[in-house]
Amino acid sequence: MGNDDHALIRAVLAGDKDAYGMLVVRHSQSVFRVAFRITEDEADAEEVVQEAFLRGYRKLEGFDARSNFRTWIYRIAMNCALDILNKRKSQTAVPIAEEYDGDQVAVQLADGAAGPDRLLLSQEIEARRYAAMEKLTPTERLAFVLRHMEDRSTEEIATALGIAPNSAKQAVFRAVQKLRQSLAPLWVKS
Amino acid sequence: MKHLTEEELIEHYYSEDFYKAEAEMHLQACKRCAQAYEDLGRFLGSVRAPEAPARDSEYGARVWQAIGGSLQPYQPKKKLGYFRWPQLAYAAACVLFLAGAFLAGRVWEHAHTKPLLASAPQQSKERVVLFVLDNHLDRSERLLVQLNHAGAEEENVDLPLQAEARQLLTDNRLYRQSVAQTNDPLLAAALDHLERVLVEVANSPDELTSADIARIEKEMNTQGLLFQIRVLRTKVSEQQTNAQAFGKGTTL
Repeated sequence: MGNDDHALIRAVLAGDKDAYGMLVVRHSQSVFRVAFRITEDEADAEEVVQEAFLRGYRKLEGFDARSNFRTWIYRIAMNCALDILNKRKSQTAVPIAEEYDGDQVAVQLADGAAGPDRLLLSQEIEARRYAAMEKLTPTERLAFVLRHMEDRSTEEIATALGIAPNSAKQAVFRAVQKLRQSLAPLWVKS
Repeated sequence: MKHLTEEELIEHYYSEDFYKAEAEMHLQACKRCAQAYEDLGRFLGSVRAPEAPARDSEYGARVWQAIGGSLQPYQPKKKLGYFRWPQLAYAAACVLFLAGAFLAGRVWEHAHTKPLLASAPQQSKERVVLFVLDNHLDRSERLLVQLNHAGAEEENVDLPLQAEARQLLTDNRLYRQSVAQTNDPLLAAALDHLERVLVEVANSPDELTSADIARIEKEMNTQGLLFQIRVLRTKVSEQQTNAQAFGKGTTL
């Protein structure tokens, strides 16, 4: 796969634009999946995919032949997602009404039986998780998604975000702490 | 016992801690940290990645369709033919050689021309001094020879020795003063000696008799002075020859 990618890149740089189309077809699905995990919005994720491949085409001359195209395009997609998160952060704010109401949730959690109530609770938990993720800074969010959901190492996160490994590690710590603070009351201790 | 911090617990959860074995041992020994780690694990385990909506198999094609139209094809780079490399390398080597030769020439010229130029006036001056001094010593030698011959005769001397001695005396003073500033004690002593003889001859009565000359010869040791003058003339002639040879070399 990697070697095929390199051959396609050489063809693109030699003037065969359609060869890039093959790269797009080959990697769009995985880029979309990562983009959605970061943005948690279908339209934003699609925008990230398109923007990432556009930027990738323009930067293709700077692609290091020793690198993996998939990793490289992922990194560009991270930056695009980061831009979207920053834009979203500056445009919207988390409504105060979404804040946690401990008593209400505790009552719901007391009932462990399956059924409509339990389904409702899952939806409630998901809504709280979404709200808690929205409260993270874009860097914390990206670092947490890459670490927790994409299982990327600290070094890979640092490279993707263009920050020092220790900063990446701290971003993951802060993200976990904030999420725990936001979601801990929902947790039913066994 | 030092408990694990939350950061250390998170590091351990993601298996990124440097002291994994130590942390594991601590968690086995410390109930408090083990409980905290269990809580953390259950919490993080409950945070699952949102399920991405499925994309159909045509999704990639649609993305390409959306962006492909706005992309300009890359212009293939004009590569230099492989066969040109030897010629280019040869040309580069020639340029380097010429540049090296030019620089070496400049360095050599800088290293050698300057001292020659600086020493040229000094050498010319030295050659002139040697020539004039040689001439002066030649005239002095002839005077002393005449003086010695005259002293051997028993008649009155009818030679213009005094006039010649007066002329030589004036020149000799200048040469003696000049030589006194240089580091040549032999020449300075000879000129000093010669000056005393010339003074004696120049200031003697109008008509020198053989007896007067014999006295001067004896008192002033003119024979010894003549020998000294000849030695010095030889030395000066050699110096003059050397200076001329060097001068020709520098001119070339």
